[in-house]
Amino acid sequence: MTARARLAATEIPAELARVVGRRVLVFSPTIRYRLAPGDRALVAPGDMVEPGTPIAERTLEAEFVEIGPIDRPTEIKPGARGEASGTVAGGSLARLWANVQAEHEEPHPGSRPAIASMADRKQAPPGVERRRPPMPGKWWVGGGDRRGKPARAKGDQRIAGTLLYQVNGRWNAAAGERHEIVESAVAGIVREARNAVEVRIEVAGSAVPGAIAAGEPSRGYLDVPRLTDGDLWASALDVGRAGAVVVAGTRLSAQAISRARAMSIRGLIACSVGEGELRDLEASRQRQRASLAPSVSFGLIALDGHGRRPLATPILALLAAMAGREVAIVTDPPLLVFDDSDVPLPELPPDWIRARSGPHAGREGRWIKSAGLYRFRGGIHLEAAVVRFADYTDTTVVPVTDLERFIF
Amino acid sequence: MGGRWRLIAHATAPSHIEPDEVLIGLLTRLGAADPGMLADLGADGGDMPTLVATWPRLVARTTPERRIAVLAGSRRQRRRLENVALRAGWLVVGGSADGDDPVVLSRLALSPETTAVLLGADRSPSGDEKRHLPDLAALVAAITRTRPELAVVLAGSAAAYESDFGIFDEPTAIAPVAPTVGGRSTQPEPGAAGPSNDKAAGQSKTPVSASAEASAQAAESAAEVAPSAAAAATPGRPGPAPTAAADATPGRSGPAPTAAETAFRSPDAILASPHILLAPDADAGSPPGASLQQVLEGLRALPNDSRLGVARSIYSLAYVLDRSIEIVEVGLQGGLLARAEPYGQGHFAVVSSHAGLADASFAPKNPSEEVIDGLLAWSTVALDRHRAMDRLNDLRLVPWGEADGEGASFRLAAAKAAFGRLIEATPELADHPLPELLVAAGGIFTALPPSLVALALADLVRRPGVSHLALDEARILGPLGAIEDETERRRLMANLADDILMPLGSLILPAGVRPGRSAGHLRIRDATTMSEIELHPGAVQVIDLPPGRTGRADLEFRDAVRLPKRAHHFSIEVGGGLGGLLVDLRDIPMRISDRPDSRRAALEAWQRGMWPESDE
Repeated sequence: MTARARLAATEIPAELARVVGRRVLVFSPTIRYRLAPGDRALVAPGDMVEPGTPIAERTLEAEFVEIGPIDRPTEIKPGARGEASGTVAGGSLARLWANVQAEHEEPHPGSRPAIASMADRKQAPPGVERRRPPMPGKWWVGGGDRRGKPARAKGDQRIAGTLLYQVNGRWNAAAGERHEIVESAVAGIVREARNAVEVRIEVAGSAVPGAIAAGEPSRGYLDVPRLTDGDLWASALDVGRAGAVVVAGTRLSAQAISRARAMSIRGLIACSVGEGELRDLEASRQRQRASLAPSVSFGLIALDGHGRRPLATPILALLAAMAGREVAIVTDPPLLVFDDSDVPLPELPPDWIRARSGPHAGREGRWIKSAGLYRFRGGIHLEAAVVRFADYTDTTVVPVTDLERFIF
Repeated sequence: MGGRWRLIAHATAPSHIEPDEVLIGLLTRLGAADPGMLADLGADGGDMPTLVATWPRLVARTTPERRIAVLAGSRRQRRRLENVALRAGWLVVGGSADGDDPVVLSRLALSPETTAVLLGADRSPSGDEKRHLPDLAALVAAITRTRPELAVVLAGSAAAYESDFGIFDEPTAIAPVAPTVGGRSTQPEPGAAGPSNDKAAGQSKTPVSASAEASAQAAESAAEVAPSAAAAATPGRPGPAPTAAADATPGRSGPAPTAAETAFRSPDAILASPHILLAPDADAGSPPGASLQQVLEGLRALPNDSRLGVARSIYSLAYVLDRSIEIVEVGLQGGLLARAEPYGQGHFAVVSSHAGLADASFAPKNPSEEVIDGLLAWSTVALDRHRAMDRLNDLRLVPWGEADGEGASFRLAAAKAAFGRLIEATPELADHPLPELLVAAGGIFTALPPSLVALALADLVRRPGVSHLALDEARILGPLGAIEDETERRRLMANLADDILMPLGSLILPAGVRPGRSAGHLRIRDATTMSEIELHPGAVQVIDLPPGRTGRADLEFRDAVRLPKRAHHFSIEVGGGLGGLLVDLRDIPMRISDRPDSRRAALEAWQRGMWPESDE
């Protein structure tokens, strides 16, 4: 049964309604790429993007630049190009700038796109002034006229970034010499694109929601190796898995993360990851960004949280069914994205439940009945349920708030 | 019931459960216990779901966390503004022009997580602050062109730069977050955007609170544990208020949405123009900063915000009971510490103050090292820092999970750490005597054994005096605070005062007890019995005094102590509760070893005395 068909046929027994539902799949979620001062969007609302489409250009180590006055474009100058007087588009980013030829006239401030959509760009007649007056967030390119820098540092280096603000007729910008292109990890439609703020994309496809994600949005083929006691040994992360998004089982270790990055693996999926590992990864990313060595994007996603527990079997079955297909890890919000909406879903009894917290965390089984108010350890009274876990012969009484059920 | 409002039954459930389902379950249990009462309510026959669906409701919601970027010309001014914004419940990021470059400052405000910017300056800014203001104002104005949905607060003399914000409508008054105080009180009640001495206060270029409400509602999170309660009147009798049922559970159906589902639902609703709000400086009001805090609370909170509702309810209850009251409320999205006290001739007026901190959540988002330190300081479970952080983050993801056994100990430590952060943020309360009534509220307290909550209050409120302890177990103070009319709220409070708070007992907390074998004796007499115990310095001694019983405690100390007056002999009226009478002879302020093992052992020993089941 496909996901959409299952969704239409979902029936929840009344008693189970008190157990929190966990949605296994979401459809057409909206994701976000965050931008910062100095970054610009290369897409506009309404644009369709595919995996690998450049959607933004980041300015690495953006710094404050005093530009001075910028002339407004006041008259039609046939063949005019460039962003502002005294600046020349060129350098290593010339190819990219050529693609971004025109921008909107002053639009409504609430919905101002970063650049014109492709359709608008085609409509602009040749020889018409298409430059916009300088405004906050506008892309700016400058170079030898940098102020406050020693003569040696000026050289022929070009810097680019976004305008910040104008005071007493003089403009200031957040700009830098180093830039990197951000490519979309998913296919979809751009819903919002604002320089220095964000690019939002409505994903064409479905996704498994996660609890935590770290690293960068990344994409690769889904690799579901054999797990030992629910775990993947770090030594299994070899160069043969380069380019893959690997299902790594119960919990991600620092060793597994380091090894995966060294082997050009594009991402890891696990049930949980510790805060210490996340901090290590972030520190490592910062060091890598500061260096000049380019690196492939790497992301990780933990589907449950921080505490060690095995992957939920319905999700593991779903991942196994999708093995070999292209998937993307998205960090904001944490999602594992499939290009297809019709994902084959495993059959599951309607009373199938899983302990998401407490001493039985990670165990799965079937709901038997409600047990009403029950006295638990420490004399704490909680609403309880009688469940039969899959690997137990006897029934167990568990707080209802420790349980979850799956919703497709 | 009998011509007055009564709290008949109450229940608490996670927010993913339908409120109607909770009500039906509650009525079913009520019917099993007292069919006659169910018949009185008109719920004994017919279709119960239809019946409960037609009952009027009082709804309060927790406002989701929102972030404000605080920008100032100097570090000193920035700290003052940050302090006020924190007390108003905002998550705060801040920068100052003398310490950070404009790229850093603009990054704070351009972040999609930031929903408001506070640009503030002193009423008469000094040179070092003043020279940065034109650039800062230009920067913020430029940011509002890139992010027109941002609300901007210009505080103090920064209001002079409003002309830098190019898009202007006719001025309109800020939509009131809550009505001003009714009755005879002269003080503004908590959360009300009442009149201010500062002419700039409350002026808005566009209705800020309306936009704040829209975006907050759109981004509403289901994560906060939701209170639920029911209060009913006899059908057919004209009630004192048009509210027969109170339910603070957000009206949400189906499963709790995941982060992915809730994160970006909101904002198709980007508004077309920036929202500029002029506000007083960070010193205005009493205590200093109160006026600005009021404006920032109005900007942040939903109109029926449950946390501000609790503060308002305490304000009304202090009037009704004619007692000084303090409340500590700890939730997932933040915490609140509020005090209300009748004063003046006839006690017709109530003075109140409160601070609601986003950081006082029992499981704050992205916990800092200080938060982990606070947690470990109160934990009776041995944890390393990483493990503590993992468990705290998991508690945020599953706030109702693992509420029993060791999980309960961890939750208690998290709640106490949050309480500690609230106390740290309200130094002005340290100057007040212990209140006559001390109330704990919030889901994390209601899930714990009452005696443990009483001990937690004694652990944190280290001021000499005598206080009655209570727990808002029905979690009804938030919804009652959503009643806009102060007179009506007081009338309802007067009816429900005996029902809404569960008595935990009394706390006697003397200061200046000298170490030794014995500190003195305590004799307690009630209507039928008299008992005497020896007082031991450094101990928490518990005398059984059940709920509903009162007695007179005569204390005779070997040396003079402060309670709060300095003397050897005291005779005190005490009330019973589920925790009994606590005589806390530990140091004020509390001194515990810094060594983790010794500290845990001491905490565990005190805890075991109040919670013998912890060894199960």
